[in-house]
Amino acid sequence: MKNKVFTGLIMFVVVVLLAVGFYTTNTFAKDKIVVGMARPLSGPMATIGDSAFKPIYDTWTDEVNAQGGIYVKEYGKKLPIELLIYDDKGDLGTMTRLTEKLIVKDKVDFLWPSCGTAFVFAQAPIANKHGYVLITAEGGATHVKDMLPSLPYVFVSLSFSDWYQIPVLAELLGEKGAKTAYITFRADLFGIEYSGVAGIEFPKHGIEIIGLNSVPPETKDFAPIIKKAKASGADVFCAFGYPDLVLPATGTSMALDYNPKAWIGGPAVNFGFYHTTFGPAAEGVLGFTTFACSQSKAAQTLCDKLYKGKPEEINDWWGHPLYWAGLECWKQAIEKAGTLDQKVIREVLATEKFNTVLGPTWFENGLMAKECHTGEIGQWQKGIFEVVGPTKNATAKFVYPKSIWPAPPKK
Amino acid sequence: MITTFLDIVISGLLMGGIYALIAVGLSLQYGVARVLNISHGEFIMIGAFGTYILYKTAGVNPILTLAICGPVLFLIGFFLYKTLFKILLAFSDSAEIFEGKSLLASFGLLFIIQNIAILIWGADIKSYSFLNIGVDLGGALFPANRMVTLLFAVVISMTFYLFLAFTRMGKAIRAAAQNPRIAGLMGVNINQVLALCFGFGALMASFAGGLLSMCYPITTTMGMEYTVIAIIVVVLGGLDSIVGSFIGGFLLGIVGSIVTYIEPGLALVAYYAIFIILLLVRPTGILGK
Amino acid sequence: MDITTLKSKKSLIWWTVIFTIFILLIFLPFYTQGYAVVLLISILVYVILTLSWVMFSGSTGYMSLAPAAFFGVGIYTSALIGKVFPFPITVLVGGMASFILAILVGALTLRLKGIYFAIFTFGLVMLIAYSLLFFEIQVTGTRGRFVIVMDYNTIYFYMLGIFMLLLLTTYLIKNSKYGLALRSIGQEEDAAAHTGVNVVGVKVMTFAISAFFMGAVGSVMATKLTYIDPFIAFSTTYSFMPVAMAIFGGTGSLYGPIIGAAILTYLEEILITKFAEVYMLIFGAILVAAILYLPDGLVGFIQKIWRRLMERNHVDT
Repeated sequence: MKNKVFTGLIMFVVVVLLAVGFYTTNTFAKDKIVVGMARPLSGPMATIGDSAFKPIYDTWTDEVNAQGGIYVKEYGKKLPIELLIYDDKGDLGTMTRLTEKLIVKDKVDFLWPSCGTAFVFAQAPIANKHGYVLITAEGGATHVKDMLPSLPYVFVSLSFSDWYQIPVLAELLGEKGAKTAYITFRADLFGIEYSGVAGIEFPKHGIEIIGLNSVPPETKDFAPIIKKAKASGADVFCAFGYPDLVLPATGTSMALDYNPKAWIGGPAVNFGFYHTTFGPAAEGVLGFTTFACSQSKAAQTLCDKLYKGKPEEINDWWGHPLYWAGLECWKQAIEKAGTLDQKVIREVLATEKFNTVLGPTWFENGLMAKECHTGEIGQWQKGIFEVVGPTKNATAKFVYPKSIWPAPPKK
Repeated sequence: MITTFLDIVISGLLMGGIYALIAVGLSLQYGVARVLNISHGEFIMIGAFGTYILYKTAGVNPILTLAICGPVLFLIGFFLYKTLFKILLAFSDSAEIFEGKSLLASFGLLFIIQNIAILIWGADIKSYSFLNIGVDLGGALFPANRMVTLLFAVVISMTFYLFLAFTRMGKAIRAAAQNPRIAGLMGVNINQVLALCFGFGALMASFAGGLLSMCYPITTTMGMEYTVIAIIVVVLGGLDSIVGSFIGGFLLGIVGSIVTYIEPGLALVAYYAIFIILLLVRPTGILGK
Repeated sequence: MDITTLKSKKSLIWWTVIFTIFILLIFLPFYTQGYAVVLLISILVYVILTLSWVMFSGSTGYMSLAPAAFFGVGIYTSALIGKVFPFPITVLVGGMASFILAILVGALTLRLKGIYFAIFTFGLVMLIAYSLLFFEIQVTGTRGRFVIVMDYNTIYFYMLGIFMLLLLTTYLIKNSKYGLALRSIGQEEDAAAHTGVNVVGVKVMTFAISAFFMGAVGSVMATKLTYIDPFIAFSTTYSFMPVAMAIFGGTGSLYGPIIGAAILTYLEEILITKFAEVYMLIFGAILVAAILYLPDGLVGFIQKIWRRLMERNHVDT
């Protein structure tokens, strides 16, 4: 018996030593900028990752490399970007481990963000600890505002509830005379935050919240909720959740003939697949957004780059432009700094202004300044997700009340 | 009050139709072939994607697709049993060992199938809208796509029940479920029967996938979610009772609907609480022996 | 030299070897730098989970899918009290919380056999996760918590400490009357009861001891996660992986699970970094192949080959 214990331990140590031996540090000759990422390529988070930041970094990296890369004065030449992507399986423990690996073992030049708000929360302290600049992508929350002062290396690109979506939404609805709202939210960070901020902002504009309930993930039956909302007679219906809530809730609202004056949904409405799913029936539905192609020449160029000749499903009017702008800031910061030194680049990012697809763009206390946003609230109008709020950025007039659901498209 | 209650119960029944359909396949695979198929949800996912692709690219009516995807998945399931699980069965000394091993093997299958699906279809959300209209039943509205699902769940399950009760093959399957050894002695080609059952399980999964893609967005990573639902339902109904899992589906649907009406936040807590309490009080399920 | 002195001499050599190995492991953070420690922490987490799983399930034959529940209880304990109490107490409380939960669960589930026990324990993980979610949303109004961050060497030493303690416990159990009782339950539960074994007591106690280690390792692991929520803490991955690792390594011996966990964790590490796109495909295929062709696990397979080689040598001489 003892022998077995010992043999076991020996074998264990052999494996360990092999592992250690495998991990001898390798150094990169400075002919490229290596960017490391721990991304969900499999598992439940892959759904979000694949449609949000992935298409952006793919297209952006190709474009920059086609131009030869990023000019770094320190080396007197353009350095192309090389991506080193690991699969975190949508598992937070794996993500933190791989982030350490990218920094400590692979010694990547830069870190690009992991996917999801919880993941951003977990990754930010690690990046900061090692002095790595981290411009986040999918994820952002009110919480993060309190964290950022202690995380000087972290910059948040995505807009979120009180930065500055819900205040704009409340104002839009208030102006049109909405009086009551029914909110259903996914029982998670996202849902709590949005319903919470709505609870503060809606009453400021005379909108009373007359119904509020949380829905755990993987809920399948939305009919009872829609029926309750319908019975409440609220002017506004909010579905603060992800596609697994927003899509069936939309379908159920149609089938049950629930026609509130405004129907607003979380991340789902802002994607092309919302329109391809419901077709003309999407008319009038509200969601969160950042830009519309018609807004500016820069916006049109980005639309062509990202979406032209591709299926409409992949469009994302909220996150994509912000991630793109984040990468542009990053590139310009490197060029301005003239070095790959994180500390210098951090200084540049924190203090200077950049020129991106959004126009002049800068970070304020670690958040992309809300003045840079070119839109907060969008509405489907004739097959286009128009910016309707804030009014100064609007590409179309806010339609209230929305038209009643038409019959869905027949094929 | 009574109308509200009726309303909720009918919503629950509609939900139950989907649950029942999800579970019947798993119940068949476990009840007869003794494989607690953790990759059941992956077969549902394939069925759903088959339906989606055919609808989007060729405009094939999702209901027609059932007849296309079903047989394909039947064959996949059949050959999977003929290769993988047959070998496992031969290597296992006892039924319990086989159950443990086949569970883990299906866990491995889950990984393989999901990865292939991601490589082919990507991981992003797919969704389409079909029969998203209300049907008026005595003053209350109900979603048409759910009614279609319910109808199919009943028809498919009935057909299958009749098949089990009255055909020669059905009798062989039931004999195999009760006692594989004696069934073998009586001249039933036991391996053939078990493979057929596994195939039928995959066929049911495909039907479930096709029908639920009409109501819910689908992704290549959605399998586990449905496997878990299927396991709950199957346990409710009794692990080896196909009729039981059918009833279990409706039971879960109605309970879920009532709880969702009262407090949506507790819907899934209620599912698992019922599940665990039932296992403790009556581990063999409502209809189990 | 008679046989006893030969044996004791051999045993002395072994003790030296084991001692050296532990010294090596203890000083590892001082002679390697950076990532090796991080990776080793992950390996140790799975080694401890797998070994604890085998302690109960390997000998009794009850397939438990509860590791995620106990691991998660440890994680949450750490998140709740980690900021208030000194860390060793947090770890102890995490372990004890799981221990108590295991006693409750064990006492309730004695009637369940075979696959029912597996399903029940799986349901338990989900019930805890969703109940906690509801509680957090309704009562504390949040989802997710930050955990105190510690440096990796400290985490490593805690893991190593738990691992050694677990190894010692397993060893003592195996070589005691208690272990004998446990194995007899696995072989023939009714017969064991007849020979006067307190079947209920032994089963529940072992289940609880194994849960203690899972909880303790969970509360250490929490500090590495930095941020947790109910679904991160109670992820079913931590239920399935230890089972797969134990089967892969072989449950017949003490070192089978250790080898299984170490190899599979390391393999996964290579796959998700070097072959990220097809990680699941390869991992799944290896799992299926192992279940098909390594009925006694990797260790059983190696032993078989070893024995065959030995026999051949005997024939030659």
